[in-house]
Amino acid sequence: MVMIDIAADLNDEDETGFVWTFLDEARDPSVVVPGAIVVAGDADAPAVAQVVDVIEKPSGKIVHLRLLPGGLEDYEALVRRAITPA
Amino acid sequence: MAIPSGSEDLRPHIRDEEPRSDDFVVVRGGPDSLAKLATHARRTYRAFNLDGAAFWGVSVFCALDQIGPASLDSILAVRMATYGLVHTPTVGRMREAGFELLPTFGRPHYTVRLVSDDDEELARLLAALGPADLNTYHGRTPRPRRR
Repeated sequence: MVMIDIAADLNDEDETGFVWTFLDEARDPSVVVPGAIVVAGDADAPAVAQVVDVIEKPSGKIVHLRLLPGGLEDYEALVRRAITPA
Repeated sequence: MAIPSGSEDLRPHIRDEEPRSDDFVVVRGGPDSLAKLATHARRTYRAFNLDGAAFWGVSVFCALDQIGPASLDSILAVRMATYGLVHTPTVGRMREAGFELLPTFGRPHYTVRLVSDDDEELARLLAALGPADLNTYHGRTPRPRRR
């Protein structure tokens, strides 16, 4: 099962050209900070994304996400290759 | 219906670009469900109003050109690259179902306008989107977005 860091509709785009969602939709908002790599979307369509910024708006804190290439499984394979048991 | 406190007027973000043809393909990463569409429509409602009135909407992309970033191939390969499944109705199908496509934010993004977030309206949208098909570009060597 995929654990999503922040729920988002990855189709959503605003004037920045980035995907946007509300910070209060994060499982743990403390990990959703600019530069962080997170899993965004939903369990059916998760994506790896980088947090671009967190903007305070009257409707709430908006998180902008840059979708990174590849799927979650690509990053899993990368970590397996890069981190080998001592 | 009252608009949520702090919502932003979407009007300044609407382009003058109605889809020229009913044959144009609308693309939305999926798979969608009633529950997901409700969540997404309500997120839009929370963030935006339209001319001071409540607004529910769901994002899509429209293949406006034969080549370039707004072409179907590019939308599927770049913008939809993370989606294994995509809904691809035509503009005509969405219009026949009574949905307005608002050209919002950057090209080729559009927002499907809903009259409410009730189950009947969301079911109509789900039916208009049609089944989700395989995105044949998913999993291919990705190309970075130009941004």
